[in-house]
Amino acid sequence: MTSPNGTEPLVGIRDLKVDFRLDRTTIFQAVKGVSFDIPVNSTVALVGESGSGKSVTALAILGLLPKENSIVPAGSRILYGGRNLLALEPGELQKLRGADISMIFQEPMSSLNPVFTVGFQLTEVLTKHLGMTGKQARARALELLREVGIPEPEIKIDAYPFQLSGGQQQRVMIAIAIACEPKLLIADEPTTALDVTIQKQILELIAALQKRMRMSVLFITHDLALVGEIADYVVVMREGEIKEQGKVQQIFEAPQDPYTRALMLCRPQLTRRPRRLPVIDDFLKPGPLAGAGLEERSRGLRGDEEVILEVRHLGKSFYSREGLFGKREFKAVKDVSFKLARGKTLGIVGESGSGKTTVALTLLRLRGASTGEALFEGADLLSIPQEEMMRYKRRIQIVFQDPYASLNPRFTIGQLLMEPLQVHRIGSDESERRDMVYKLLEEVGLPEVSFFKYPHEFSGGQRQRIAIARCLTMKPEVLICDEAVSALDVSVQAQVLNLLQDLQDEYHMSYIFISHDLAVVKYMADQVMVMNEGEVVEVANSDDIYRNPQHPYTKKLLSSIPQGWRGARAR
Amino acid sequence: MLGYVVRRLWQTIPTLLGVVLLIFFLFTWVGGDPAYLLAGKISNPEQIENIRHQLGVDRPYYIQLWIFIQQIATGDFGESWSTNEKVSAIFATRLGPSLTVLVPLLLVDTLLAIAAAMLVAYVRGSLTDRIVMIGCTVGQSISILVYIIVFQYVLAYQLGWFPVQGWGNGFAENLLKFSLLPIIVGVIVSLAPDTRLYRTFFLDEINQDYVRTARAKGMSEGRVMWVHVLRNASIPIITNVMIQLPGLLAGAFLIERFFSIPGVGREVILAVERSDFPVIKAVTVYVAIATMIINLVADLLYRVVDPRVQLK
Amino acid sequence: MTQAAALSLGAQRAESPGLWVLAWRRFCRDRVGLASFLIVVFFFGLMVASGLHLIAADWSKEVGVNYAPPTFSGPAIHDGGPSAPLAPDSSRAESAGKADAAAGDIEIVDPLADVLAEIRAQSSAASVAEAQAPTLAFGGDRWGRDVLKKTIKGTETSMFVGLVAALLAAFLATVFGALAGYYGGWIDDFFNWFYSVFTSIPYLLLILAIAAVLNQKGTLTVILILGLTGWTGIFRLVRAEYLKHKVREYIQAADAIGASHARRMFVHILPNVSHVILVQLSLHVVLFIKSEVVLSFLGFGVGVDTVSWGSMLNEAQSELILGYWWQLVAATIAMALLVTGFSLFTDALRDALDPKLK
Repeated sequence: MTSPNGTEPLVGIRDLKVDFRLDRTTIFQAVKGVSFDIPVNSTVALVGESGSGKSVTALAILGLLPKENSIVPAGSRILYGGRNLLALEPGELQKLRGADISMIFQEPMSSLNPVFTVGFQLTEVLTKHLGMTGKQARARALELLREVGIPEPEIKIDAYPFQLSGGQQQRVMIAIAIACEPKLLIADEPTTALDVTIQKQILELIAALQKRMRMSVLFITHDLALVGEIADYVVVMREGEIKEQGKVQQIFEAPQDPYTRALMLCRPQLTRRPRRLPVIDDFLKPGPLAGAGLEERSRGLRGDEEVILEVRHLGKSFYSREGLFGKREFKAVKDVSFKLARGKTLGIVGESGSGKTTVALTLLRLRGASTGEALFEGADLLSIPQEEMMRYKRRIQIVFQDPYASLNPRFTIGQLLMEPLQVHRIGSDESERRDMVYKLLEEVGLPEVSFFKYPHEFSGGQRQRIAIARCLTMKPEVLICDEAVSALDVSVQAQVLNLLQDLQDEYHMSYIFISHDLAVVKYMADQVMVMNEGEVVEVANSDDIYRNPQHPYTKKLLSSIPQGWRGARAR
Repeated sequence: MLGYVVRRLWQTIPTLLGVVLLIFFLFTWVGGDPAYLLAGKISNPEQIENIRHQLGVDRPYYIQLWIFIQQIATGDFGESWSTNEKVSAIFATRLGPSLTVLVPLLLVDTLLAIAAAMLVAYVRGSLTDRIVMIGCTVGQSISILVYIIVFQYVLAYQLGWFPVQGWGNGFAENLLKFSLLPIIVGVIVSLAPDTRLYRTFFLDEINQDYVRTARAKGMSEGRVMWVHVLRNASIPIITNVMIQLPGLLAGAFLIERFFSIPGVGREVILAVERSDFPVIKAVTVYVAIATMIINLVADLLYRVVDPRVQLK
Repeated sequence: MTQAAALSLGAQRAESPGLWVLAWRRFCRDRVGLASFLIVVFFFGLMVASGLHLIAADWSKEVGVNYAPPTFSGPAIHDGGPSAPLAPDSSRAESAGKADAAAGDIEIVDPLADVLAEIRAQSSAASVAEAQAPTLAFGGDRWGRDVLKKTIKGTETSMFVGLVAALLAAFLATVFGALAGYYGGWIDDFFNWFYSVFTSIPYLLLILAIAAVLNQKGTLTVILILGLTGWTGIFRLVRAEYLKHKVREYIQAADAIGASHARRMFVHILPNVSHVILVQLSLHVVLFIKSEVVLSFLGFGVGVDTVSWGSMLNEAQSELILGYWWQLVAATIAMALLVTGFSLFTDALRDALDPKLK
């Protein structure tokens, strides 16, 4: 990308390569010759899925790659102010870091030192780079905290990171980063760990600071929708290479590379609901887009559907010890009631701490409920004896969020899928069970040899298929998906969503689809239930709730969703 | 804060009771009848009965347990079976020498181990790191007995740099003359395992995100290590030092024995050799009580070091 | 079991590497680890061979002269011993003389003088030996027994005690830790109470107290003492692992499909924490070998008729003053070799089983 008006770019990255030594003989090429510019006073978005090398590129600019196993081959250059940052003396680089170029990270909690106060960590930069005295630095620190929107800065300056919320922690990180008025701020997935409403605030803060301080921002993200809102230039990376780069308008309106197009269309959108989501292969194959992504699907309940599960006044409290004998009650779920229709999907949306996962776990008796009942064919799942529950267990199943944690790493896929059959004595003998498992593997799109493999040999998306297959062994009538696609990359997410949809069409299962991602819920659910701080704030058909939200919280949630590129905007 | 201390003390009661029961069980059931031990070979039934009565072992168990608890509460464990010295006096006079050796030992060892561990953690994976680690492993694998024997033989006996053993009267003399070699041996023995352990603490911290942040802020490597990393690593290090503290009261058994230091540890070994139950009982119970108090102090100390610890 | 069925089926097909296989491959790439593993295997072989009386069965035979020096340093004259027929090794004699002189210099503070005199008296009394070799491969002890064979016998005792005691401790710790960590609640409270009772008394003090009341020596006693007191460290780790794993999603998934408590505890979680137990087991073998050496040295360990490194060191202490260094060196080298090997093996094991840590 050339600079817009022919001026010298702030930072020029030329043929950057980064290798990682995995062991004595293997070398992994994380970045394979990347070149792009960061112009003065503009925001460049570096977009890519996991393993694309985007974070490694960012760390290389500041020389923060782990020195024991990373290699930057000669020939790579990162030009800043006429100097090659990769060839600087450590002392020179230290002077630039935090002063000219600063960085914020994905996890604000772990990125701040837990045992020092906010003030200490903030003034440290000021005394080091600007030579301020302790008193001056503290005064400036207060100003900075006010500038990034920390409430009550006089109190918060002496707080420890754990005493702040996630959003406040990220604000403190930003305050540290802008303390010396840098020319470039590198933001490495700064909002990924945050709730969507907080994400919006942080994005607005970064954009405002960028404008006011006339600095450049290198914004690293996996979320293309976010990019459309903030970036001037976009660089799309995949597997260590740049697929496409250009002005944001060009990338969104006339993407040249099929991968860029795929990234944009694989993700469910709020405005459309195709029957099937296009997957990445649809784009990478030559020829026109076949079928997928064109036909629309309509969703919603008419009100006369058969109810398979009815939850009434569900509540769950946790207790923490307090004082000599006392304990404090924390209500994670308060008086939740809903009905689940057969063959339909109920979406549960909420931010972290809203109690949505707790609802799922109590329904399966993985956590004991404090109050309420859950009626399944007239039986209260929350109170029937444990032995009786066994009969219902196979009929309600759950898929968890983390595909790496939900499969026992010491079991083969065969053992994993055979286990429920054995526990519930499904199938007459082992060979029949084995045949059933083979059939299921085929159904979720995995080859037969998977039977003998271990989970670590599969990717995240494949593991989630295995987890789904494990539920299917029992032919459940209700399937709970607890953030089942949240940990997956966009392109993989589309495949798993399509699989879930196909299975529902085939077996008429009812889904409870839990997610923080409103677009995914809108795509999957007939009915949406919005939760906040343990309470249900709104339930409605999904199209209605997105078109016409009633509750202020729902409105706030919806308005926080990144809208992507919306044509020529007033900037 | 006060509420926390009260609650913690309240919680230690079951543990204390457990320790009392364990020791009582050991000495009353497992230990067998002490009268036979005391009476020796030339004993007639009458004598044994007599001793049994004196010791109170002919009474029911619950009364014996009650007597034991009374002994703990009053600190009066009677007299040593072999020297007839008051048990309380033994403890009081032996503690000083033990601490004279062990407190400097612990201090020197901890400081050296922290410095060494930070250095090798910083250059992890390098040749220096590997050599130091292998050296620690080999050094650790040689028995403490060998260190004592060889050092005593070479440095004291052959070269005459230190007295072979003994103990004087003045504190300065004891510390500077008689404790020096024991401290050196003790430091050499504990330096290797502590360096290895603290290195892992430093490594745990070095890979944390906040270290990357500190570097991104332009902090010098020295500041990153000595301020950011050290403060965090000091939390598990303090735990480890605290675990070693009760050992100070029990004395350094082997060092005290070899160098003839009249400390608690040597007394315990002598007591075990002579089956002097009152002494062993008293030392065990009091060290256990001290351990619990030290644990409480440790928890209070954590709050100073680690702001995340909330005492509830 | 079906696992076995699946395994046999797996053998027919292309073999797929499980986590243990991968760990083994990683381990084989670690040259230091492999070398240390060979050392451990070698010592294990020694222990078994000696235990089966294949080697060193005649260790107690007095085959050499008293304090026969090692062959490589040549025969030597005893202090005033009339029985040394061969040419005196000058350096040896000199250093022995020096030791005597040094012994003379230190007067009041020399507590070893008595020991010295006693040993001298014994050695001259026993010097009417007949048909005994003047030198032995690695020297002889006070009675002219072969130090090398004695060391092998000592290896057998010390290693056996260390291994069995560590197995006992690890077994107790695993059962306690699994129950406490998995069930929580009052079961956890009970085991934690038990744990804090045991850890309130410093380890060595507890061992000495038990040794005092038992008042009977023997290999079995030492094993029981070490095993029954040494479970606390492993317990804490196993409990923490169970606490961590029982809330993991794969265990929740197992619960959701209806797997029983026992199945979740031992079929699902145990294989996932077994690497921790294995590493701890290996660490405790080393710890217990060291403890046994100290106990036996102090005379509270193995019986008088059993040789262990500890009892060898006990003899070596007084021998050193006379200049008879070989028993000390033999026991030290054997122990250092095994313990170093075991420690490096443990490190390599940990790296191989848990590649995230390094």
